[in-house]
Amino acid sequence: MMAASVLAVLPLIVLGTGAVLAMLLAPRARADTVRAAAGLALVVALAAALRRMGTPDLSSAMLVDDGLARLGQALVCATGLGTLAFLRPARPAREGPALVLLATLGAAVLCKANHAATLFLGLELATLSLIALFVLPLTRPALEAGYKLLILGGIGAATLLFALALTYAATGSLTLQAWAGRGMLVSLGTALLMAGLAFKFALAPFHMWTPDAFSGAPAAAAALAGTASKIGVAVVLVRLDAAGPPEPLWHMGLALIAGGSILLGNLQALRQTALPRMLGYSSVAQSGYVAAIVASGGAGGPTAVMFYLAGYAPALIAALCVAASLGPQARPEDLHGLAWRNPLMGAVLALALMSLAGLPISVGFFGKYYLFAALIRAGAWGLLAVAALGTGLGVYVYIRFLAAAFRTAPSSAPLPLPMAEGTVLVAGAAILLGLGLYPGPLIAALRLAFA
Amino acid sequence: LALVALAAAVLGIGTGGQAGAAPRWLALERHVWAPALGVQILFAVDGLSAALLALSLGLGIVSIVVSWNITRHVPLLNAALCWTVAASNGVFLSFDLLVFAFFWELMIVPAFLLIAIWGHGEREAAALKFLVFNAVAGLGLLAAVFYLGATGDPVTFDTFAIAARGVPPALQAWLLSGFALAFLVKLPVPPLHAWLPDAHTMAPTAGSILLAGLLLKTGAYGLFRFPVLLFPQGMAELAPFGLALGGFGTIYAALVACGQTDAKRLVAYTSVAHMSVVLMGICGGVPFSLMGAGIVMVAHAFSASALFLLLGAIYDRVGTRDLRELGGMQRSVPRFAAAFALFFSATLAMPGTSNFLGEALVITGMFQVQWLYALITLVSLVVSVVYATRLFKRVVFGTSRQAEVTEDLRLRELGPIVVLAGCTLLFGLLPQLLMVPFQTAVDAATLPVAAVTGAP
Repeated sequence: MMAASVLAVLPLIVLGTGAVLAMLLAPRARADTVRAAAGLALVVALAAALRRMGTPDLSSAMLVDDGLARLGQALVCATGLGTLAFLRPARPAREGPALVLLATLGAAVLCKANHAATLFLGLELATLSLIALFVLPLTRPALEAGYKLLILGGIGAATLLFALALTYAATGSLTLQAWAGRGMLVSLGTALLMAGLAFKFALAPFHMWTPDAFSGAPAAAAALAGTASKIGVAVVLVRLDAAGPPEPLWHMGLALIAGGSILLGNLQALRQTALPRMLGYSSVAQSGYVAAIVASGGAGGPTAVMFYLAGYAPALIAALCVAASLGPQARPEDLHGLAWRNPLMGAVLALALMSLAGLPISVGFFGKYYLFAALIRAGAWGLLAVAALGTGLGVYVYIRFLAAAFRTAPSSAPLPLPMAEGTVLVAGAAILLGLGLYPGPLIAALRLAFA
Repeated sequence: LALVALAAAVLGIGTGGQAGAAPRWLALERHVWAPALGVQILFAVDGLSAALLALSLGLGIVSIVVSWNITRHVPLLNAALCWTVAASNGVFLSFDLLVFAFFWELMIVPAFLLIAIWGHGEREAAALKFLVFNAVAGLGLLAAVFYLGATGDPVTFDTFAIAARGVPPALQAWLLSGFALAFLVKLPVPPLHAWLPDAHTMAPTAGSILLAGLLLKTGAYGLFRFPVLLFPQGMAELAPFGLALGGFGTIYAALVACGQTDAKRLVAYTSVAHMSVVLMGICGGVPFSLMGAGIVMVAHAFSASALFLLLGAIYDRVGTRDLRELGGMQRSVPRFAAAFALFFSATLAMPGTSNFLGEALVITGMFQVQWLYALITLVSLVVSVVYATRLFKRVVFGTSRQAEVTEDLRLRELGPIVVLAGCTLLFGLLPQLLMVPFQTAVDAATLPVAAVTGAP
């Protein structure tokens, strides 16, 4: 029993000690050594999370270790690994790897959170380390992105705390199950909780920090904010949904902000001229899809959420990795001829954008299937219409940039690509293409997790 | 790379030709692919699909040969061409709805790239128009497919299983509308055709050939195959609307074609008119009209591809396709003139060409359905004589006003033209070659409707 519970929290232990170790190493060791140590910690944590797959669930007052948590942790560690590889802080900033580990740890704690304390701890751990990561380059846009996240994230945290306090006052319990309570206070708490989580999940109208983060902060930090912390919050949403907060407030409210995010994200993405900002707004829309699945409240919701995120994360990381190599203000014109200046980058960007648009041969197509199927099964026709409209707009949004990559370039000078980025791109493309053509393994993993 | 693609395509035809004779399906392949999703690889081939497969591979080769003179980004061009052919082959083969939808969506991107990268003029705008129309319409198909698959227990996308299980009659019309939206936009039928003239005009020659020869056919094939199988009641309900839409489309597009000055645009509108005839044939739901629709599908692929090829060749030489500037070809370039003569007569459905056979069968079928529609088809035939002779007169006879074509067809262009001409005449003179293989598909498409409507 003891051994099992230690194994259950092993990913957290590894990530935490890894972060401390990386912090200790940072001032003395070479930058690559620190990065390698952090990468090792992530790989071990990933393996530890995967090894627990299929074993009986464990839960305590604070943490829970079930299939959802394990899958979430594995995804979070994988995204951490992907972003770590192309984290390029300018100048001495050696704290980068340690901060990536801390943010991943925060997201992993969120995946296991079963209690208000762990929920808050995980969220703040992720947010605070992301703020530090955002401002690492010390440029003006990076500082702006950091401040925005600091202020908006702070508001989100305050809202969340208030929500937790209200529920505690009403029910006397701090576990997530407390949300099953009824009454005025719990309802008010639910509304505030939704707002607080929406800040972190980048849902409209609480999304304002996202586009600035994507265009100002280092791409790897933005990728981490867009994937790892989002996976954590998505798991929390699924758990809260299972607990059953007051109706119709919970599903209705979630559906509203989900629909708003889908429309606003896609419409704003349509107007963007810079690739990173477009990806920022598109991530708002993608959050909207995930929230829509939760809001529909169907039986297959958790599976659909995890499948969608598993397909979304590699696509966003790959797209941001390409965007990072092009500079923070990559307009469509800067993308011209990318497919010939650097075929790998062009091809992977095309694949990633296709996946985000939900077009076949990339895993995004099946993500779209899971999204639509979940909404159809739940009979959420309004949300289905909004999601269909959103994906229709989305195709145009993404293909505009895809087409730019294939246009004739003013200069045909080959574009150099560092080894680490190349590896990330190849791995991302392998996942997107592999699961897009043969989604079996991922579905099997989901089955195992939700058996 | 192009050579490899060619060889692969030829190989594909070879294996396609070896399919044995089974009662309903020439070949049926069933493999588990993603069992948890209820997805399997379910490929089935009958005479119709086999003919369309051969067509798509043949046109693939033609388009690669035709674009031999393009020097920009050649590997990607060939990749995009093969990708288009592969995706449309998937559409012609798949009977698992999710895989069908997969290939359906797969066609969009390469066709978009073909237009956007190697096109002429306002190519970006045309490509985006194509994309938006087809992507949005594709959502209708996706939503219907996902609904059919996801609401079943167990989850399955097997067309035959869904058809055997039966779709609730109340939903059939709605789901069919979802399917039909995608198919009708791809076909296209007015008023959903707005993407096609621009896409055709701006696309490179190879792109136009694949658009007219393959992509439009995927829409027709989808209409031919799935509605009757899955939604017999829905089809019985909606077929009259289809007929009306087709009747409107064929007259409208033919009239608009008469007013065009850009030769390629004119041919694009004739495609719309012919595809509207196909729609009428399919919605007619009697053996004659269905057979006719099948034959028009094949025949139109030959004639439209050949016309696009010829116009592309003219454009390469003189840089214009304007009817007001061309002319006098019959003296300067006799091979061009002869080829034009043949394919114009095919477009206006001259007896002896396979187009005639198809249209005649549709008209015969229409008399069985409703004489008004037969009348409309006949009128559209008359209008087609007007636009075809106008095009012919302007391009081939007279004297050239500004742009004189001095160089006759080269071997690279002549080869495909001869093959296409041969096919047009062969199937026009020996219609049994098409009609026998199509028979099973036509039977399958008529029976369920007859079962619902109570017709014999």
